[in-house]
Amino acid sequence: MNDEIKTVECDLCGFVCPLSKMKAAEAVDALSTGETLNIVLGDTESLKSVAQELKDKGIKPSFKQEGENRFILTIAK
Amino acid sequence: MAAGNGPDHELRVYSDITQLIASPLNPTPLVRVNRLNTNEGLALYLKLERYNPFGSVKDRIAYEMLKGMDTEGKTVVEPSSGNTGIALACVANALGILVEIAVPDRIPEEKKTILKLLGAKLMEADDALCPLFPSEGARGLVNGIIKSPATKDKYVSPNQYENELNVKAHYQTTGPEIWKQTSGKINFFFAGLGTCGTISGIGRYLKEQNPAVRIIGVEPASPEHHLPGMKRITGLDEEYIPKILDRSVIDDTIQIGDKDAYQTAIDLARKEGIPVGPTTGAILYAALNYAKADKGIAVVVSPDDAFKYTSFYKGIVDADLAAERQFGLGDGI
Repeated sequence: MNDEIKTVECDLCGFVCPLSKMKAAEAVDALSTGETLNIVLGDTESLKSVAQELKDKGIKPSFKQEGENRFILTIAK
Repeated sequence: MAAGNGPDHELRVYSDITQLIASPLNPTPLVRVNRLNTNEGLALYLKLERYNPFGSVKDRIAYEMLKGMDTEGKTVVEPSSGNTGIALACVANALGILVEIAVPDRIPEEKKTILKLLGAKLMEADDALCPLFPSEGARGLVNGIIKSPATKDKYVSPNQYENELNVKAHYQTTGPEIWKQTSGKINFFFAGLGTCGTISGIGRYLKEQNPAVRIIGVEPASPEHHLPGMKRITGLDEEYIPKILDRSVIDDTIQIGDKDAYQTAIDLARKEGIPVGPTTGAILYAALNYAKADKGIAVVVSPDDAFKYTSFYKGIVDADLAAERQFGLGDGI
């Protein structure tokens, strides 16, 4: 049995809202049980809209900021 | 057979499909409304834009916007409730340009099918998709594509809401056509508000010829409506009003509800034999009620025909039929 947690990175730094929100939603929908998803965003508008999208889906992510314009939302399924 | 590359409107021989797009030398028809108009002192005409080659008023602006655009190595992307998308796809196909269209999810299936038929990549956008463009998710999506670092170099957008060529197309073609077709005697002009290119371009031209011509804009009575292509401008924050709108040429704005619009479109089909889209119904309803006691000549822009909206009309005409059967009518066969 493989207990290793698979982490998927979805780098959306090149996308502004609403593309970032759409692509984040696609990545969340594609997440399998046992996987962890890191959504990397490059601007505050995208951060706000993706956070709202996750909230609407009933998902509470953990948040980390790296530098001025790199935001990471992490969710596990 | 005519030779050369220019259009021959007399023989109707053309070297490519875009040459059929209306112009003062090849105008769309003005057709008088007879039985619906009860004001004998007013000659009311429809400017039937369905006679453009791709079926709507948007053919004029699609060609004007695309012909001068640098599309080398790029894909054209545009938000559209259908008519601009169809026109852009046709012109783009004729010019060998790739095109993608963002559409609201509430447009008729017929338009989506035509866009797919034309090979355009279709992106359906929920109205609430983007907070930057409330209730216009398709505009927000295209804005995102054009501004995202990962995609901006691959796409170019005509942006009909801000592109002065939208206004220019009507200033140089539709306006002069109407002036000439009415022998300069037009008194009232009615058009729907959407991107506002039609009313701004035609209105500007007609006002320059005769400042006394009254220009009337027609908009939906509610922001939530089923009149594809129309937009309620009244009450919008300034940032959401189309940049190309020239308020100085508009004398009045009238609000029309879905029910009156659809019923007028159906009446026009049944009493005059002219099948039009629901926006024509809205604009015509406004005209029939605005100039009830006036004399002169009125022109109503009819953006397109009924055939792209059969699924929208189906519920209404089926209900009509059911009511007739209930009262023992319409079953003469």
